[in-house]
Amino acid sequence: MSELDRNAKRSRLSAPSLRRREFLVLGAGALLGARSAGAETPPPPSGRRGQVIVGLSQEPTVFNPLMPGIEVDESVWMNVFNALWNPDPEGNLIPELAAEVPTVENGGISDGGLAWKVRLREGVVWHDGEPFTAEDVKFSLELINSPGFRARTRQGHSLVRDIVVKGPHEISWRMEKAYSPYLALLANTFIVPKHILGKASDPNTAAFNNAPVGTGPFRWSERVAGDHISFVANERYFLPGPYLEKAVFKYIPDLTALYAQFRTGQVDLTIGQGIPANFYEEAVKLPGRKVVANPSGNLEIIMPNLELPALSEKAVRQALYHAINKQAIIDVIYYGLHRPTESFAPKESWAYNPNLPPHSYDIAKANKLLDDAGWKRGARGIRQKNGVPLEFALSTTTGTAIREQCQQLLMQDWQQIGASMKINNMPAAVIWGEFYVRSKFQALLVGTAFRTVTDPDPATRFSSESIPVKGGSGGNYMQYVNPEVDRLLAAGQTSFDRQERTKIYHRLQEIVRDELPILPIFQYAPVEGYKEGLVGFRPNINARQNTWNMSKWYWAR
Amino acid sequence: MGSFLARRVGQAGVLLLIVSIIGFSILHLAPGGPLSQFAATGDMTQEDLDRVARQMGLDRPLPVQYAEWLWRLLQGDWGVSYRDKQPVLRVIGSHLGATLELMLSSTLLAMMIGCWIGVLGAIRRYSVFDTLATVGAMIALSIPTFWFGLVVIYVFSVGLGWLPAGNRYTIGDGSWSDRLHHLIGPCIVLALVSTAVWSRYMRSSMLDVINQDYIRTARSKGIPERRILFQHAVRNALLPMITIAGLHLPTLLSGALVTETVFTWPGMGRLFLDSIGYRDYPTVMGILMFTAMLVLLGSLLADLLYGVADPRIRTA
Amino acid sequence: MTSPVGAIDGPPAKPALTSRWDSPALRRFRRHRLAVFGAVTILVLTLACIVGPFLLPFTDTFIDIRQRFAPPLSGAHVLGTDQLGRDMLARLLMAGRISLAVGFAAMAISMVIGVCVGLVAGYYGGAIGAVLMRFVDAMLCFPSIFLLLAVSAFIHPGVETIILLIAFTAWMEVARIVEAQIKALRERDFAVAAEALGASDARVMIRELLPNAIAPIVVAATLNVAHAILAESYISFLGYGIQPPTPSWGNMLDNAQGYLTSAPWLAMLPGAMITLAVTSFNFIGDGLRDALDPRTDAR
Repeated sequence: MSELDRNAKRSRLSAPSLRRREFLVLGAGALLGARSAGAETPPPPSGRRGQVIVGLSQEPTVFNPLMPGIEVDESVWMNVFNALWNPDPEGNLIPELAAEVPTVENGGISDGGLAWKVRLREGVVWHDGEPFTAEDVKFSLELINSPGFRARTRQGHSLVRDIVVKGPHEISWRMEKAYSPYLALLANTFIVPKHILGKASDPNTAAFNNAPVGTGPFRWSERVAGDHISFVANERYFLPGPYLEKAVFKYIPDLTALYAQFRTGQVDLTIGQGIPANFYEEAVKLPGRKVVANPSGNLEIIMPNLELPALSEKAVRQALYHAINKQAIIDVIYYGLHRPTESFAPKESWAYNPNLPPHSYDIAKANKLLDDAGWKRGARGIRQKNGVPLEFALSTTTGTAIREQCQQLLMQDWQQIGASMKINNMPAAVIWGEFYVRSKFQALLVGTAFRTVTDPDPATRFSSESIPVKGGSGGNYMQYVNPEVDRLLAAGQTSFDRQERTKIYHRLQEIVRDELPILPIFQYAPVEGYKEGLVGFRPNINARQNTWNMSKWYWAR
Repeated sequence: MGSFLARRVGQAGVLLLIVSIIGFSILHLAPGGPLSQFAATGDMTQEDLDRVARQMGLDRPLPVQYAEWLWRLLQGDWGVSYRDKQPVLRVIGSHLGATLELMLSSTLLAMMIGCWIGVLGAIRRYSVFDTLATVGAMIALSIPTFWFGLVVIYVFSVGLGWLPAGNRYTIGDGSWSDRLHHLIGPCIVLALVSTAVWSRYMRSSMLDVINQDYIRTARSKGIPERRILFQHAVRNALLPMITIAGLHLPTLLSGALVTETVFTWPGMGRLFLDSIGYRDYPTVMGILMFTAMLVLLGSLLADLLYGVADPRIRTA
Repeated sequence: MTSPVGAIDGPPAKPALTSRWDSPALRRFRRHRLAVFGAVTILVLTLACIVGPFLLPFTDTFIDIRQRFAPPLSGAHVLGTDQLGRDMLARLLMAGRISLAVGFAAMAISMVIGVCVGLVAGYYGGAIGAVLMRFVDAMLCFPSIFLLLAVSAFIHPGVETIILLIAFTAWMEVARIVEAQIKALRERDFAVAAEALGASDARVMIRELLPNAIAPIVVAATLNVAHAILAESYISFLGYGIQPPTPSWGNMLDNAQGYLTSAPWLAMLPGAMITLAVTSFNFIGDGLRDALDPRTDAR
């Protein structure tokens, strides 16, 4: 979820961090942003040359890829480590440490999804020269489940039983129940070296955590805390590349300052939260820079607390939805960069349902919905029903200037249908604390995603068993309960058949569009920029950050 | 002298204890915690979050956590940063250099210019120069620093291209000239305010001195005015500046928070802001205790130095 | 508080009816041209902020998307419009109400706390005084930014809480000043005499001691207003400021950062207002210091 504004200051703008993207060029960016492709693309150099400085608005601080970290940390993980497989921009899983991705067809997944077998790539070595084997994979999976280890998440992993190393490059395990999103979860599980971490007395505080050793295209070089991290090319990388000699992740905590440094050329790329929308028009005209809006899997939504009497009724949420001037929000506040959406799934996902009823900005219809539902206008024009006034507070992280503009537009629009909204913003650390996870908010304006890593499964967000404040485990903080949805979510998790799952998720999107447990506004396309002459930058809506293929980057000469 | 020192150190110990209790309470009672940001990513389920909180010991009663923290601190263990996964002292150390570089250079600049303005202003009291200096100092004290910093960046970096838009040095360069080039912008912004402060202090201190008997005596003896002013008056007027410099010491650390943010300067201010945002309890407590110690050290040094410079004080 | 120089310089005072306008202190203040400038500026600003919004055709919260980023002096909006097409002049004036109110209120509260703590500590001395002053010392050990950030995490950002927040971080200096003054004054004859006559502690403190310590308190109060207005803008910059849609100079300036090149007036106007108001209060404080200090020789 984008709102990873670790402190509010840093994310003055509401751009999300990036999960999945696909290359897309919008508006004026089309001319400048068109990726030099085909014949024009200069060939990669034979050796390793030059360096790239990537500007990040958050500081990576977690280098053990199995411990709790945020998306910007994954930029480091993706380049120092490898997972078994990795999704490409089209959503296909490409084998990395695995020799092939297990499927039902190739026999890798059998017994109705309960037995998994993975063949691993041979000839891979860790940065210190030790060979990579199945023991490392076993160690990594077991470490995640070991009681004392502060693992980031055990989602999916907790179902794994009986891990067996069948040979140096073959491993198998059983699952407690069939769980198809595990493929995607493994694409986000980086393998750590047993020969180093296995010897540490406490893996939580091992020296490894500050000087990671992986199999990835770049080797850890040095870190200047609060400033930058540098990497050098891994000469023995098992895939083509890297072509760069050195890479630097530079931390610039303020998006305006980050843009200024991109403009003056102190950083070669700005990714992640990228360039604030209000600089977009200026940025596309910068000489020697390519600036593109790359769709991410994050959505800007309003998350109502469904237990709040004023918001618990479907008609109210539908009326509020009709009274949102989406086009004004997108065109005026976000400079037309983002695309309106009706779904919780990104448009690029195979599970996306393109046939959902489109939203219309219609104050009259919104008023009629409320009139019909028995909400009568009372004092100061605010509607009431059974003594409950149509009043609520909308919260977001403080210091996000663009979201605050959006809130003020919403306020004015909702006033017209007799709904009184107050703005109640708080610092990031407060919002995402108990306020969020114990469902203490009334409504939130957030950028977030509804899926399991790159898998479309949104069970942790919509299942009635995922409501923490009701004893569940998950992220259903709006407290949505719908038995049909629960049934569909369970069916989607146990099926490995994409066609069948597509049907399930299409139905799910229809229900959610109708009941509006979340009010979708748009799908993010943050603006990222890089210097002309950098070849190989390829946005990936399925990767957490667009440094995912840094090993393929090089400078045109 | 010895008992004076012992008393001051004892007082300092009590103060530090109060500071630690206030700081610890505010920090831990504030909503949100070090795991909030992971809740925001949606990758970790509630089960995961609760488990990690338990593993980190965050679910224990606050007095227990405080006692443990204090006990370790007394043994010289400042704890390990949640955010950086490194010992707090090392984290502070790695940010200290950048802050000292910026603050010392700007303070030096401000002292030189400020004292000069103050002396001239006092000598030519109520002249056009003095009035302009007074007005200028007042305005400088009234401008929001971050606003001034942004204007400097937009005019000199983005507009004219004379200065880098931030950072301490160019990655891969780091030569003296490169570092100096990066230092100019933030140094000027920071020096603006402190120049105003120094010039005000120096002016009033100089005025005090000029009106004193020995200066009048010197004048009546026919010593040239320039010599009176620059050999006797200025030297004596600088004396109280020692106290001010001592009291100024702690702001060397915290004073640059906003400027460091605007100029992406990797110093203590930024570390503090990041740590607060992250709820990195050990680091925030570490910085607090460190700063409090500096405050106390600064005032002690000011008193001691002043006592050395002016023997009348020692007995008082 | 008589100054021989002032008495000679000033217009001859009517012996029986020494009106307040003729007090030497006020005469010194009036001769301090910058201070007079400051006082006039604040007066005009305050009046404009109170009356102005009633005279304008636009309200500060009316959003007109089609009119966004209208530059000053072009069309209906005298000072242009902001990123949502709201009238800048209306917003500046409404923001002025908030910012000045924050300044005055925070000053008042911090003065009350500071004076109370300082009075009690200075009057009773001993253990009570030591405990109170050590607490003041401890509070001064915190970087004020820390207090602002940490406390703002507790509270819901709003005008009232911002006021409390700023007051909470600005009373310590006042307490120190008052304590030092009272400590010195209570040994003086008039205080000792009042006590000997059986006046209650409270009466001695408030009726006898406080009026004699008023000069530095007034100066500190003025400077505290300046400090509070500036502090409000810093809190906004750090993202904990007054919530929209209520405008304040601080949050207007903060929100304008992204438009420094494309719509510079968004940042220049509130920046200028803050600087103007704060400078004026600083001038007044400076003037008061000179005027209320009998040792200062008049020009």
